[in-house]
Amino acid sequence: MRDDHNDFGRDDRNASGTARGNSAIVSRLAGAVFGRLTGRNRAPKGQRASLDQMHARLLGVGAGFIALFSAIALKLSFATVWMPMEPEKRQIAPQVPTIPKSDPKGEASNDLVLPQVHRATITDRNGQALAISLPVAQVYANPQELIDPKDAAEKLRSVLPQLNEEDTIRRLSEKRQFVYLARDISPVQEISINNLGIPGIYFEPGERRHYPLGTTAAQIMGSVDIDDHGIAGVERYFDKRLNTDRTPLRLSLDVRIQAVVHDELANAMQTFQAIGACAIVMDVRTGEIVAMVSLPDFDANDFAHAPNDSRFNRAVTGMYEPGSTFKLQTAAMALQLGVAHVWDRFSSIPIHIGRFTISDMKTDHFPPWISLPYVMAHSSNPAAAHIALDVGAERQREWLHSMGFLDRVPVELPEASRPLVPSARNWGISTVMTVGFGHGVAEPPLSIVRGTAATVNGGILVRPTLLARDDANTADTTDQNGPLAPRPVLYDPAHDNVGPDSNANADASADVTPQGPRVLSEQTSNTLRKILRLVVTQGIGKNAESPGYFVGGKTGTAEKVGPHGGYLKHVNIGAFTGVFPMNDPHYAVYVMLDSPHPTAQTHGWTTASWNAAPTVSKIISRIGPMLNMFPDTANAAKIDAELAIPMDPGVPSGYRALGPGNDPGDPRNAPHAPTRREVAYRTHEHDVTRTVSSDD
Amino acid sequence: MLGPLRHEKRLWRPEPSFRLLSKLWQINWLYVLLICALAGVGYLALYSAGGGSSKPFAAPQATRFGFGLVLMIGTALLSPRLLMRLSGPIYIVAMALLVLVLRMGHVGKGAERWINLAGLQFQPSEFAKIALVLLLASWFSRLGHRRMGNPLWLIPAAVAVLLPVGLVLKEPNLGTASIIGVIGAILFFAAGMRWWQIVILVAPVPFLGKFVYAHLHDYQKARIDTFLHPDHDPLGAGYNIIQSKIALGSGGMWGEGYLHGTQGQLNFLPEKQTDFIFTMIGEEWGYVGAISVIGLLGLLVLGGMLIALRSRNQFGRLLGLGIAMDFFLYCAVNLSMVMGAIPVGGVPLPLISYGGSAMLTMMFGFGLLLSAYVHRNERLGPHDQPTVE
Repeated sequence: MRDDHNDFGRDDRNASGTARGNSAIVSRLAGAVFGRLTGRNRAPKGQRASLDQMHARLLGVGAGFIALFSAIALKLSFATVWMPMEPEKRQIAPQVPTIPKSDPKGEASNDLVLPQVHRATITDRNGQALAISLPVAQVYANPQELIDPKDAAEKLRSVLPQLNEEDTIRRLSEKRQFVYLARDISPVQEISINNLGIPGIYFEPGERRHYPLGTTAAQIMGSVDIDDHGIAGVERYFDKRLNTDRTPLRLSLDVRIQAVVHDELANAMQTFQAIGACAIVMDVRTGEIVAMVSLPDFDANDFAHAPNDSRFNRAVTGMYEPGSTFKLQTAAMALQLGVAHVWDRFSSIPIHIGRFTISDMKTDHFPPWISLPYVMAHSSNPAAAHIALDVGAERQREWLHSMGFLDRVPVELPEASRPLVPSARNWGISTVMTVGFGHGVAEPPLSIVRGTAATVNGGILVRPTLLARDDANTADTTDQNGPLAPRPVLYDPAHDNVGPDSNANADASADVTPQGPRVLSEQTSNTLRKILRLVVTQGIGKNAESPGYFVGGKTGTAEKVGPHGGYLKHVNIGAFTGVFPMNDPHYAVYVMLDSPHPTAQTHGWTTASWNAAPTVSKIISRIGPMLNMFPDTANAAKIDAELAIPMDPGVPSGYRALGPGNDPGDPRNAPHAPTRREVAYRTHEHDVTRTVSSDD
Repeated sequence: MLGPLRHEKRLWRPEPSFRLLSKLWQINWLYVLLICALAGVGYLALYSAGGGSSKPFAAPQATRFGFGLVLMIGTALLSPRLLMRLSGPIYIVAMALLVLVLRMGHVGKGAERWINLAGLQFQPSEFAKIALVLLLASWFSRLGHRRMGNPLWLIPAAVAVLLPVGLVLKEPNLGTASIIGVIGAILFFAAGMRWWQIVILVAPVPFLGKFVYAHLHDYQKARIDTFLHPDHDPLGAGYNIIQSKIALGSGGMWGEGYLHGTQGQLNFLPEKQTDFIFTMIGEEWGYVGAISVIGLLGLLVLGGMLIALRSRNQFGRLLGLGIAMDFFLYCAVNLSMVMGAIPVGGVPLPLISYGGSAMLTMMFGFGLLLSAYVHRNERLGPHDQPTVE
């Protein structure tokens, strides 16, 4: 630098050296001030002065440049090192989404409590997620902060192709502070948009409910609305619990069982061209519903587009006449009340009452008088009507009430509805008879399963539940239905000595004691188990047998009521309520097919024994091992011998069996068409334990 | 810095056929190297601004620099006599372009500044600066020091300054108009304007400033207000400045790493490839990198000043000063702008920011500067000193 400084004045230096430099400054000043006055006669000196002045001024300008550059450098050090400006939190916060942790090895796959979401996960009994909230984001923009709406819209469309470009540009150009751009984008999309780095684009964290198993248990799960409030199914029933407690809600369902049942039911529905179907698998000891399928169903992730028919949960909302399945209740009440015994015989001759005739199918060819096991095994309607008449209207209704058949079925689903039953005022003789074989009332399938469970589990009416047992105490059960109200119990220990095999299955449910009101004695329950087993071994439920599982059960075929009232011949509701294993009942398996068609395999039949019963058999064969129960063929003979009950039991000494000439409940014995009061009276005539005070 | 050139001695006068080669040899190649270094910095910065890709900024800019280099060397070989003769026509062309841009200019961001020249987006105001420097240098060189004392001789030069200032103000582009005015004023000063003249001229400036502010466009007023109180409107007009400051602040001493600047790479930084490229450099390379770039810019300014000082003719001196000053003002305004020291205006960082016309005009300017160096010993004006022999 100094060299250069000297260099540019080389010509001067040659002439005068450094001394000249000082005088040059003076002469430059003189030249500057007096230049014009000194005139042209000092031309050479003025020339030199002008050169000096030039250099000085250039140096001055250069010095100014250096000063300015230094100031800029100083400012830079302030801006970067000494006093750096921090980004505002407000600017950064919404633009760095909380991202689920990276999980290449899938270690978090069982982590059902995601930190970003609020609504609890719903799992099945084994912890498999049925409903889970995943973090999503809503994208919004502050158009005032945007630099170029068109550019921003183009970039956004690269991540969200569903955006309409024109519409997005229009929204981004609005003179507002807030416009929504897209809802429910995934975290991946959120990061992609964030990486676009468009100023003025923000995210609002949210969550979206996912049902990873799609159609599985769709009606049970229900759905949530856009604000994450349950609108159907357990989502609605446990809405408050799910939104306040983030621990997963464990249901009693087992997705494996659910899948098998769904599979078999769908097969059956297709095979028999049914318009609908439902199935329930329930633990008869605890009431836990292990599977509940209603077809047709829908993808739970797309509840909004599901047709009403698919949303409809036939297992709890559907009302079907139970048909012959209900004869089990008639037999149960008659045996429990001591009205009938297994050796009593009942008339199978068609009954004419008013315009109606109660008869069996012409192909049945029953003997005119048949025993109670025979009534059950071959399902005779007139005989069941006679048994019901022997019980009488009052006690029949009270029994049904105690078994929960007159109330909404208590289960953790808001869709559970009240059964269709005649009022007490209209519970006349024809009602008594038709209800005796399962017509004239309409019950949800779950009620049937519950009633069946009580008859085989030792006599305890359990409360059906969708909650896994461990969870039952902690879960929020304060719902609109309230806890199960205590029922009037007709059970009287004084009659426990009825029947020949009192202590057969004392340890039947040693591992799990059913909780709930006792509705019938263990002895009655044991008898009923044998009868149900008889239905499958020798009766019309043979197709339900699954070797080694000792299936018992009862068919139920009800003719459908047509659009103009009146029953439709050949359009049936076929149902089978199976229980296995009958020597120690664990599970009830219910299958119902709505309007099945005949096939070659059913020999033209559309009754339950040909479609529902074999479906139950298939289901039991498949789910047994999953439920940790294996076919016990080795001891089959021994167990079946223990469960055996003769089709035509002999009458013990000291009893006069009901039968020909001893049929007090037969209305035909009346001299004229009986009034309701008379029938009620006559029906109870032979009842030594009669406690009923009055009719109507 | 320009050390090797000290040993230069006119030991032989080349034959005419060797003139061109000799002139090439005379070019200050160290200065050319500095220019290339700065362009290299620009390439790296634009590569980062393109998101770690030579497209869409870095590669086209490199091509332009190649053209600019040829233009610069070619200009450097032009004789100053020719340049003096051409200064008038060049100035007229520049003014014509300024008028043209007002008539049929391309509107960009609220101002007509661009015209299409054979498909090339061209900003005539930048060319006008060089043309003005050339014209003033030529005019003052012919005038000689003596006649500078007579205001009458200065009037044409003053008109030559005020005409482009007025035209550019009309675009409106306050920043460039101010730069043109400052260049003109400093050339007047350096050419030997008398102090009493300076006092007379500078005295009314405050009043003029008030008058100009009253006639500013709203957006220009907003810029000044924003500059004074950037935090009043952090998301509106102050957004750029605040984002820029945040980016610089996040750079710290060593930077966030090349291609890893959050604000720049995530596009929170507006116009990062043009006006705000220095911010991105600061964010990614930190204080150390940014101060190095400032040092490089400073070396180029200083080199230009030294070339001006070494020239033996008034034309070369003023031309060198004018070009160095043009370059300096670009840098100073841009750097102050991105650091929030002066109101924001569309002034790029020369040779680094993305943009064709700024690059080419700047290279043309450097060509003139090098021409002044190559022909530093020639005697041009009537009052230049005789060549020492």
